[in-house]
Amino acid sequence: MALVELRGVSKSFTKGEETITPLDEVDLDIQAGEFVSLMGPSGTGKSTLLNLISGIDRPDRGTISVDGVEVTGLSRSKLADWRAANLGYIFQTHNLIPVLTTYENVELPTLLLKLSKSQRRQRVELALEAVGLTDRANHYPRQLSGGQEQRVGIARAIVAHPKVVVADEPTGSLDAQTSEQIQTLLQRLNRELDITLLMVTHDRDVAGIASRKLVLDQGKFVDSETAITMGV
Amino acid sequence: MLLPWEYGVRNLARRPLRTMLTLAALSTVILLVFVVVGFIRGLEKSLSISGDRDVVLVYSVNSEENIENSAIAARTPALLAASVEGTQQRFGVTHVSPEMYLGTRVNTDENNGGLGLVRGVTTGAPLVRRSVKLIDGKWPSSGEVIVGQLAAAKLGYDKQDLAIGKQVVFENKTWEIVGQFAAGGAACESEIWCNLADLQTATKRQDLTVVALLLEPGSSTAEIELFCKERTDLELRALGETDYYQSLQQHYKPVRILAWLVVLLVSGAGVFAGLNMMYGAVAGRVREIATLQAIGYRRRAILLSIVQEGVLLAAAASLIAGAIALVLMNGLAIRFTMGAFTLRIDSVAVLFGCGIGLLLGVLGALPPAIKALRAKVAVSLKAV
Repeated sequence: MALVELRGVSKSFTKGEETITPLDEVDLDIQAGEFVSLMGPSGTGKSTLLNLISGIDRPDRGTISVDGVEVTGLSRSKLADWRAANLGYIFQTHNLIPVLTTYENVELPTLLLKLSKSQRRQRVELALEAVGLTDRANHYPRQLSGGQEQRVGIARAIVAHPKVVVADEPTGSLDAQTSEQIQTLLQRLNRELDITLLMVTHDRDVAGIASRKLVLDQGKFVDSETAITMGV
Repeated sequence: MLLPWEYGVRNLARRPLRTMLTLAALSTVILLVFVVVGFIRGLEKSLSISGDRDVVLVYSVNSEENIENSAIAARTPALLAASVEGTQQRFGVTHVSPEMYLGTRVNTDENNGGLGLVRGVTTGAPLVRRSVKLIDGKWPSSGEVIVGQLAAAKLGYDKQDLAIGKQVVFENKTWEIVGQFAAGGAACESEIWCNLADLQTATKRQDLTVVALLLEPGSSTAEIELFCKERTDLELRALGETDYYQSLQQHYKPVRILAWLVVLLVSGAGVFAGLNMMYGAVAGRVREIATLQAIGYRRRAILLSIVQEGVLLAAAASLIAGAIALVLMNGLAIRFTMGAFTLRIDSVAVLFGCGIGLLLGVLGALPPAIKALRAKVAVSLKAV
């Protein structure tokens, strides 16, 4: 049984008089420990798919299960609890809380778990060590570089030991060198910590680090040949 | 699970200028609430302690509620003392106080035109007016006066202008101040007392305004009321002093209603100050709030954190306003038609001021917080 299962998932938006269907009867299986990249032209539903899997949006039709839990059937508050325990989210723009230090930002998800203070400290220190930012624990986001901020974002996404981590253009706002560092870090986390990753990216090179590459177009996954003709 | 306390506290420092301006605005609003509530409490207290349950006032039936307009025959005290039982007597002295009471211009060497309240009394007055205590100087003889602690406030003069040894002029006569009295904040504390006969001479009147009688404990006013009804020629009316001041409380009801209306309006302005600040604060954090939701924080936890910010700011404003009110406003004398009273920043006023302050914090933070949390997380995550 796959860790993430999507069955017949559809999602539509109304924009003025036009109805856009970024996802149309989509099926997807992601196995535990897999590193999947998701590509496609703008507006093809990559981020929508990510938001549906992470439970911050709901599909119009279909079901989404993660580790046997049908997230589409959970209430808003239950979904929040489920996200806290099972999902890590890496944002393109890092989305760190500016008034909290690196340590406090990483600690945020652990406050939602039933952990003692020492257990929380241990987890935060391990996560910061994994992204190489132990020496920046007391720095505020404004005192960090873009790459360091994204590494804090990654530490925050993995600190609760989630079943799956979703990353929405994690290198999208970084320069080439920093982007490479982040790619290496994501690969290492997948291989060494066996973290299941689903990453949305526009960049073919970044998508290449994943063990499986998926391409979305007009609401459907397309095969590799079609993807090549699309130039992705 | 709630967000860390530090998050709400540090958020206040994100826009220091805006936070300081809102703090100043909220402090001003809450200070105004303190002042108005202190005004109401002072007025209520002054009227409630002004009446003595055992004292009956006998005055002209034609003056209705306004004792100042009363004019009764000079022989009334003697008739009352002879005809009515139940009036307190000690060592053969009946506790009856014939008084002449008038509002008149009172001038000093430095000031002119202040409208003061003058009471011509006899040595019977301290026997009946039990709350009155001579705190400095001596009882007035002919051509002398004693002044209440709030008399200067009533006149709008400096306290030093009515110091012992100074002179005041009223009814075309110069009077020397020889004493000062207190009455526990009662209305008569804003009066000037002089010898009754002197005042009658100065005003060229022989009548009285009122006769106050101290009843024996347990006695009722019924007999005095009966006397007043039977002696229709005297045109008298008897009223318990507490009843008289209660009727004045009713008289000042519109003032109190107006004061509460001011509290309401001022509080409304405070809510807008809070709303303005919190809308600004929350509008700049739409993506951050969505991020917290994406991490797994429930909307209720985020809502509480935003309300915490508003309440913290309002609590700080309440403390500042409370300190200013207690140090600078408490005990401040206020003039009004019937005399003067002091602003009372008592426990009720403090509770009220701080309560309204905290309410402003909650009301100012709730609408922007609800608005921010209603937005779709997926959309807000992309907000600039």
